[in-house]
Amino acid sequence: MTDLAIILLALFGVWTGWRVFRVDSMVRASFALMLSFIATAGIGLLLSAPYIGVATVFMMAVEMLVMAIFMVMFMMNPAGLNPMSMVHQHRLSIGAGVVAFAGLGAAVLLSDLPDSPVAPGTDVVAQLGFELLGPSMLIFETAGVTLLATMLGAVILSSRQGRFGMADHGSRPPGLEPGGAPAGRRPEKGGGHGHGHGGHGGHGDGGHGRASDDHGGEHRGHMSDGDHEGHAGYSPDGAMGAPGPEHGATHRTPAKSEHGGEHRTAHGPGHAPQDQKAADAPQEDAAPNADPHAHHRKGTGHDGDDT
Amino acid sequence: MSVLLAAGVLVALALGIWLGAWFDRLAPALEGGRAAGPMAPLRDWAALLIRDQAETEAPDRMNRLLAPAWYLALAAIGLSVVPVAEGLALWHSPVGIVVWGSCEALIVITVFLHGWSPNAPFPLIGAYRYAAIGLPVMLPSMFVLIAAALPAESLSLIAIVDSQRDSWNLVRQPLGLPLFLVVGLTLTLRGPLDFAGGVDIAGGTSAEESGAGLFLWQVARLATLVAFSALAAAVFLGGPLGPLLPGPVWLALKTALVMALTVLAGRLIARTTPSRMLHVLWVWLLPLSFAHLAVSGMVAL
Repeated sequence: MTDLAIILLALFGVWTGWRVFRVDSMVRASFALMLSFIATAGIGLLLSAPYIGVATVFMMAVEMLVMAIFMVMFMMNPAGLNPMSMVHQHRLSIGAGVVAFAGLGAAVLLSDLPDSPVAPGTDVVAQLGFELLGPSMLIFETAGVTLLATMLGAVILSSRQGRFGMADHGSRPPGLEPGGAPAGRRPEKGGGHGHGHGGHGGHGDGGHGRASDDHGGEHRGHMSDGDHEGHAGYSPDGAMGAPGPEHGATHRTPAKSEHGGEHRTAHGPGHAPQDQKAADAPQEDAAPNADPHAHHRKGTGHDGDDT
Repeated sequence: MSVLLAAGVLVALALGIWLGAWFDRLAPALEGGRAAGPMAPLRDWAALLIRDQAETEAPDRMNRLLAPAWYLALAAIGLSVVPVAEGLALWHSPVGIVVWGSCEALIVITVFLHGWSPNAPFPLIGAYRYAAIGLPVMLPSMFVLIAAALPAESLSLIAIVDSQRDSWNLVRQPLGLPLFLVVGLTLTLRGPLDFAGGVDIAGGTSAEESGAGLFLWQVARLATLVAFSALAAAVFLGGPLGPLLPGPVWLALKTALVMALTVLAGRLIARTTPSRMLHVLWVWLLPLSFAHLAVSGMVAL
């Protein structure tokens, strides 16, 4: 019975882990990963490691929610809406996957695994506590300090204000088709300037010189800095199923477009058809998606390497 | 035996849901409004059940259907670790408060998914707003529960109840229950911490819900209220400990008391803007709960 449960949980963990790479929505990917971890936690629970099992659920739930929010904030294409593949660096990732699998497989096969059941009445939680704050103190504290540094880094990265100006200065979202006009709402305050064009170029006054490399020949409109600042908020339109040029999500404008910026703070799930298409054929078949890198070269300036 | 116990806990949960719904309809009397009778919740639910469910454009159907079910299930799992009598819980987990903590974290995710899945603006605003508030609330919750575990020297709720024979945690750790009430208000989407819903965003995560889906969501919120109150009663008010009356009756009475307190707090405390609430949570509540943990630790020593 326990064996069967462990096998089923392991299969569920593998399946949800595979789903992480097949969905285009960052929210779906995060929570698929969470389900995978919860399956692992269930195995831990069945292996008489109650604290590790339940704490895994707790930690992963909080972590994956944070991750989902951060990915929606920072990713180029968090909802799979724009034609770009979220799968990249194939050779490196295949290599890393094979090495990790071989290493972990070897660790399982070569190490001497205990096979005696835990005696009933053993206080495993207390034993774990003494282990963590005793012999394993160094590892425990190292992990703690590392996590603290990561948290500080995340806070600094997500801060809009920085030493070199606003983080979102001059950024613009990628187009809805390769080489297309940037998605996103046109400025309301910008008068007729941005209107009547296919979209807007989204370079600020100060950022013109620096940003022109990224923009290539793709200027489609002009707007002043002030227009952009006004839109660094939340746009409910981003939740709609098929945003046109006028119905995109929040448009922000960092000059350093290689930082990606927070193009969209709002993402609904509703891109099911595209989602599916991209999931089935991440690179080759999906017509608008034929060469995602061409899209990058045309000036979104983001190489999609974040995750 | 355990089947009987499970049935008993489920019946108690159903009664608690009804009681919570009635409390919600009694509360307007405090402000000079009209209080409804005990049958009002049942009438309202029946009216909801015969209505159609609204459709939205391109929703995430699976998560939309599952979110209320997860919410209800997490409330039930959280309730299962609460000792109903001395030394007797449905799930004798040696790490009971961690199980509850996991349920809390997963509830925040469930509420987020509930707002995210309809693919509509207002629910989505509610989802992100709630996630931003729900995450920092997890930290005081953790500190408060760890503080309660210190005198018991165990993470098990049975041991925590057992450690309150001489004096309740409410007396030893007076800040515990008020801080934990903030957690309860967040988990049950109430009053000052109901950033998922609210009239300012047309109902928030539930803006697109109607019919059976809305009914289930309301029931799940109330089930979470019951589970939270039972846990607070066990952690701070000695749970089933008490003279004369049998343990389960004491637990039920204390649970009803905490439920009433939560409903009152949700009713009487005004809600502020999310950014201001974030400031309160990070700058005031987090250090306060940490100080609470430090003081409780020293008292326990």
